[in-house]
Amino acid sequence: MSEQRLAAGAIAIGPAGQRRTSPRWEYVILGSGVAALLVLIVLPLASLLKSSFISAAGVGLANFYEVLTEPLYYNALLNSLQLGFWVGVLSVLVGVPFAWAVSRTNVPGKRFIHMTAIISYLSPAFLTAIAYVNMFSPNSGLINVFLRDVLHLPFLTFNVFSMAGLVLVTTLGTFPFVYLLASSALQSVDASYEEAAQILGSGRMRTALTITLPLVAPAIVAGTLLAFVHAIALFGSQAIIGLPARIPTLPTRIYSLFDYPPQNGVASALSLVFVLITVAALYLQRLFLARRSFVTLGGKGSRPQLVDLGPARWLLLAFCTLVFLISVLLPFSTLIAVSFSKTWGLNFWSGLTLANYKYVLVDYAITRKAIVNSLILATVAATVTVLIGAIISWIDLRTKFPGRRILDYIALVPLGLPGIVMAVALLQFWLSTPLPLYGTMAILLLAYVGRYVPLGVRAASTSLRQIDSSLEESARILGAPWVTTAREITLPLMRPGLFAGWLLVFVPVIQELSASILLFSSDTITLAVAVYNLFESGYTEPVAALAVVNMAIIGAAIWLATKLGGGRLGKASIQSPKIGAA
Amino acid sequence: MAGISIRGLAKNYAGKADMAALSNLDLEIGDSQFVTLLGPSGCGKTTTLRLIAGYLVPDAGTIHVNGKLLSSKTTVVTPENRGMGMVFQNYAVWPHKTVFENVAFGLKLRKIAAAQLKDQVERMLSLVNLSGLEGRFPNELSGGQQQRVALARSLVVEPDILLLDEPLSNLDAKLRERMRAELKQLQRRTGITFIYVTHDQAEALALSDQVAVMHGGKLQQFGTPLEVYAKPSNRTVADFMGLVNIIPAEVLDRTHVRIGPDAVLAMDVPEWAATGAAADLAVRPENVHLAILGAEPGGELTGTVTDRTFLGNIVEYLVRLPSGREVRAQAHPLVLAEPGAALKVRIDPTQCMLFPREAARPLAHAA
Repeated sequence: MSEQRLAAGAIAIGPAGQRRTSPRWEYVILGSGVAALLVLIVLPLASLLKSSFISAAGVGLANFYEVLTEPLYYNALLNSLQLGFWVGVLSVLVGVPFAWAVSRTNVPGKRFIHMTAIISYLSPAFLTAIAYVNMFSPNSGLINVFLRDVLHLPFLTFNVFSMAGLVLVTTLGTFPFVYLLASSALQSVDASYEEAAQILGSGRMRTALTITLPLVAPAIVAGTLLAFVHAIALFGSQAIIGLPARIPTLPTRIYSLFDYPPQNGVASALSLVFVLITVAALYLQRLFLARRSFVTLGGKGSRPQLVDLGPARWLLLAFCTLVFLISVLLPFSTLIAVSFSKTWGLNFWSGLTLANYKYVLVDYAITRKAIVNSLILATVAATVTVLIGAIISWIDLRTKFPGRRILDYIALVPLGLPGIVMAVALLQFWLSTPLPLYGTMAILLLAYVGRYVPLGVRAASTSLRQIDSSLEESARILGAPWVTTAREITLPLMRPGLFAGWLLVFVPVIQELSASILLFSSDTITLAVAVYNLFESGYTEPVAALAVVNMAIIGAAIWLATKLGGGRLGKASIQSPKIGAA
Repeated sequence: MAGISIRGLAKNYAGKADMAALSNLDLEIGDSQFVTLLGPSGCGKTTTLRLIAGYLVPDAGTIHVNGKLLSSKTTVVTPENRGMGMVFQNYAVWPHKTVFENVAFGLKLRKIAAAQLKDQVERMLSLVNLSGLEGRFPNELSGGQQQRVALARSLVVEPDILLLDEPLSNLDAKLRERMRAELKQLQRRTGITFIYVTHDQAEALALSDQVAVMHGGKLQQFGTPLEVYAKPSNRTVADFMGLVNIIPAEVLDRTHVRIGPDAVLAMDVPEWAATGAAADLAVRPENVHLAILGAEPGGELTGTVTDRTFLGNIVEYLVRLPSGREVRAQAHPLVLAEPGAALKVRIDPTQCMLFPREAARPLAHAA
């Protein structure tokens, strides 16, 4: 302790007990870590806070007053809460049976059920929304038309432009949160807890209700809160379905505040309210997840016995298949069908064409540019994010720098920032500086790196934690200077983990819309923005082609990484908690 | 109180049909006995316990308790209907319930009235020295305390049979010693039939009325601690019950065995060993006596000390015999010989065991 205090702020960054032969490098790394977090997170958030207090009336709470009293704003707030609530409920209703089926029953097709959840998790929500509009828009949605005009069953039609439609489409991407957390909890409940209840005379049902459920409940609640946070932050689906349905939500309302003339103050205040909700939910989520730690307390655990469902297992499989149909098969096949049709309608198959692909890939300069931009941005953003992640986690785990825990916490902050809020914060900050960053690729890059820096840090610290520091210490005792140790020992050992982290960032960036929508310019348009703009302009068929291209890039990235990373990556990329623990 | 009768019990695990987890087990366990299932990991002892508890369905054989059929290939009484108790290796104390709630769980299932329930739980907690900790959660308890909660939870419902799966293996040495004594007392006092699984032969010897030594899914010997230690039925049991020297021997006649070029041991030769047959002589280190040369005339063997380990209450020697073979011997610390010294080696013929010759193989000791 005293050594640390003596060295505070100066040379305290060297790992304890090691010779500090080349402290300069350590300063550079420490400095760049601090600078990155300042520019990416701290300063933009400070600007957001500042601008929320500034209104035409001067400095004060006027913006917050307006946000909380104007129906225009508090209705959006209420709609968002309502959306999040119902998505949470529905996610439990789908995610828990999925988790139970896979981890505790003898249901056939477990791999299929698991993959259904994973593909749903990876599918961009705004593309699912577009697919659902193609199927269920009240007048021209193909399934609605079929039900009404061919089967003459108009009462069976479903209007996707409604809260129900929004909840349905959103849930398809969020139930996997509940599934993943609940199934990992179910698998880690030591079987002896249940067996102990059984031998005392407790039947299966009673054991499930008094022992198993209380043990996994924290994980289910945590997954639900994660689904909630994720759901309310999605700009794309809420704009595509919510706006025509006249259901404004927080992201779409914040977006509309930047129509000319931009109302920075109100937008900032509304953003902060948004952040407050998200952070509160995430705080609760961590609280519940922390309680889960007791699940794995036991020593040598035995695997739980699987419940023999008898014929009922086919019923469970049927339920899971229905979810597969709704969340994967229908939207994917719709988008593919639309992308090949001349005009989307009942007779789409009579005029199949490749023209839409030619249009978005060759003829139309904007989509062409968008694809290239997104590929560049995703590659650079993923690389930079992983690098920063490695730096932050290294500072946290391998140095004695007094503020290292704070750095680690700051790097987690973006988890609580919806994409559009990140964009608002960046706008407030960079528009107040003389640097003309607005409208450049740089500001998009800052948004992406800032948003996904928690993923980079998590990936890096997971792998750094697995490297025992004695491996590095033995290199140094042999005389290797710090830089050599990092290059020869630490980095090569971290590489698989960093690679996984890279993919973890690349995939969401290639489909990022919530922040990009406020930050793009005609030169820096991205793939997701191009899809959204085309959709808004009514280009139904080319939109689908571009959507398929988007999905193909995501699929290729995952495939490539799985191939290169030998399986480990593909699993890490889906954030399967089972792998995360390994 | 209850006796257990196991006949022809067998269990295979999926995908391992070639290696049975348990094959053809016959075991008669008397009323109010403390019986230990002893063996290295993978010997089938835990499988046996889980079959008795009803968590597993046997592939063959039957389990009767007091003449009532509990398990066979076709009918299995579920664990919750067996009226047994079980203490798990990791205690399985429910982390979301307090000490009181853990212990009260079984009584609630038996619909005991609240006042009586409270009374019974408190009595049981004081029996295991946990009074005053009723409101604690398991994560606020030490390993030994959790262990007692698990015991109390199983005992409060007054089972006829208590199954214990290596209950002491997660405790430190001192605490283990103490819990061992408490368990033994508890069993004597309650008269509950204890089936106790362990890989620790010292624990088995100290606790049990009867020990069932298991290896490779088969019962090797069932007898009192003294029997399995001093009169092991085969080399596997001899190996597992403690350190043992194996010396190649040749049967000379019904009363003599040659164990070296000039060393003949006078002992009773068992029936199976024909004159001239090759055999293995097993003798425990404490029955190999060392003496200073010339102190006692007419010894059979001399040997050279190659290594000496001081263990406190005893000294263990490795002694090389003229045949080149090394034997392990234990001596009182007062007999101190330096490595290189020549000593007289006397093997106590009454404590020797003769087994059919087997190919050399590693000792089957578990950790």
